[in-house]
Amino acid sequence: MAAVEIRSVRKSFGRVDVIHGIDITVDDGEFAVLVGPSGCGKSTLLRMIAGLESVSDGEIAIGGKVVNDLPPRERDIAMVFQDYALYPHKTVAENIAFGLRMRGTPKPEMEKLVREASDILQIGHLLERKPGQLSGGQRQRVAMGRAIVRRPKVFLFDEPLSNLDAQLRAEMRIEIKKLHQRFGTTIVYVTHDQIEAMTLADRIAILKGGYLQQFASPNTCYARPVNRFVAGFIGSPPMNFAETDVDAGISRLSLGQGLSVPVSPEARQRLQPAAGRRVVLGLRPEHVKPGAGGPSSVPAGVELVEPLGSETLVLLRLGDALFTGRFPAEAGLKPGDTTPVDCAFANAHLFDPQSGQALTA
Amino acid sequence: MSAATLDKAPPKAKPRLSPLERSERRLGFILLAPAFLLLAVVVLYPIIELLTTSVRFYHLAQPWMGTPFIGLEHYARALSDERFWESTLNTVLYIVITVPGAVIVGLGLALLANQPFSIKWPVRLGLLLPWALPLVFAGLIFRWFFEYNQGLVNNALGFFGIGPIPWLTNPTFAFAATCIAIVWKTSSFVALVLLAGLQTIPKSLYEAAEIDGAGKWQQFVEITLPMLRPAIVVALIFRTITAIQTFDIPYAMTNGGPGHSTETLAMYIHKTTIDFLDLGYGSALAVLMFIVSVIATTGYLRHTRRDPRKA
Repeated sequence: MAAVEIRSVRKSFGRVDVIHGIDITVDDGEFAVLVGPSGCGKSTLLRMIAGLESVSDGEIAIGGKVVNDLPPRERDIAMVFQDYALYPHKTVAENIAFGLRMRGTPKPEMEKLVREASDILQIGHLLERKPGQLSGGQRQRVAMGRAIVRRPKVFLFDEPLSNLDAQLRAEMRIEIKKLHQRFGTTIVYVTHDQIEAMTLADRIAILKGGYLQQFASPNTCYARPVNRFVAGFIGSPPMNFAETDVDAGISRLSLGQGLSVPVSPEARQRLQPAAGRRVVLGLRPEHVKPGAGGPSSVPAGVELVEPLGSETLVLLRLGDALFTGRFPAEAGLKPGDTTPVDCAFANAHLFDPQSGQALTA
Repeated sequence: MSAATLDKAPPKAKPRLSPLERSERRLGFILLAPAFLLLAVVVLYPIIELLTTSVRFYHLAQPWMGTPFIGLEHYARALSDERFWESTLNTVLYIVITVPGAVIVGLGLALLANQPFSIKWPVRLGLLLPWALPLVFAGLIFRWFFEYNQGLVNNALGFFGIGPIPWLTNPTFAFAATCIAIVWKTSSFVALVLLAGLQTIPKSLYEAAEIDGAGKWQQFVEITLPMLRPAIVVALIFRTITAIQTFDIPYAMTNGGPGHSTETLAMYIHKTTIDFLDLGYGSALAVLMFIVSVIATTGYLRHTRRDPRKA
């Protein structure tokens, strides 16, 4: 086991800079998830840790040892690829044993380790088959078997679940989390799916355009996003945003089209940084709720209703802004209705309209 | 339905086709008909003609003899014809030497062309050029290369104090020279087939192997070769079939000489029919060659049925 340190790492392909100096330290035994939209550099960063891409500048250390110039096979890592990268002409057992065989492990020990790994992943009955005869989920398990059999210092996962259907993805997520609990090996995991990031990670590194936005626990990223991008990326459905002018006394928020929403005294403290200026207001869907009809409620037009069974997501028009609210399952609303809505501004996030940086702590 | 009616039902009733299926089937036959017709004209008819000619006396220099049926006499003559056996042996040697030779050289060229060159076209052009050259032209080029006095090869060897070697006048050297020319000419086609195969191997397999600890040679043995097997078999089939028919290059370089040392079966057939005008015997020889081709191809095709990517 080992920590992975990424120090001021840069990467350019020719003249194109894709990673602009990233610092991340993944602690020994930690499960770190690199997440971000396509092209943010997360896979490139992972491949640099693996040694499949060179580092243009900066240092990568595994277990305290700088590995910039070490080939992949000398880094003591294992990687699970998006397309599984199973050797199609070898059986499952040969696939799992390949890394051991390349390292000259004696045959009896090799067989024992393959048997153990396949038992853990419940693929013991598939050992003699070829990858072409397996389902997507089974292939995924074999790919993980190939990784765990060597007991490497670090596991690297490159979007391992993106080729699976939703149900299998949820199952494999649990499987991966169990593996981490069992082995306690350091894991660096790349995904574009923020739900995977939230459910799996000890800490999430959110990347955008080759820059690190935030590296913190899932709850911190959710509750205290450092900027508008993180706020919008983490959480499903995403945070609602609206540009608004706040008066000096923070008594009302103007949402356009003559709609101005009253601010409760308890929310005033939270909105203090916005006093007398224009800000981007962010509000999570769970903080947009059916109104009690009191003075704090505002009328909102219903634009779209998405029943989810346990609850209903309602897209609401508030002045110029479109807010998604979490409503009870039996909300009884339909598009075109007008309904009173309570916005819990005490939980609001405030962002600078230009820089997008968070103004609330 | 009662048990009695079940018993009466015929055990192997053909599934009835719906009118739509029947008209689709008819359309299928109509669409296939032109291809079948063409095949019949250019393949089937010549084969039948060849077979019938091979069992007749048919000598253009002796027209007064007519074309009487003589049974398997030509085949019996072939079996006791020393020149037939010699040219067959030469053909087999050409197959055994130039087919693996072309596959090995072609594999090397394909691996080279598969490297990430910044400018790809010179490599691809270099690969295509020998393939695009007419066979006779290649033969003439190599005849000049191996020429005794002014040839490029003897000139080059002269720098190292070797030679001059009688490339085209000594039986063994002549055979070697023609083999080199054939390998050069045919390995580019093999390389193209193998290059296409190489490009279907996912890069992630090599990356996985690299992380698993495999060096470059192990990656080649453990991934490239087995993944390339279907392409290699295809290249082998094509190359073997053309090797059985080896004609142009030895014809242009040595015309089968010195003696009959580089004469192939195809050349002997050509000489028998065109030079000696013995169409009957030539046809019998051609039938024998055809049988060898069919046997070789069937052997290979049996191999290809096994897909290494599956069970």
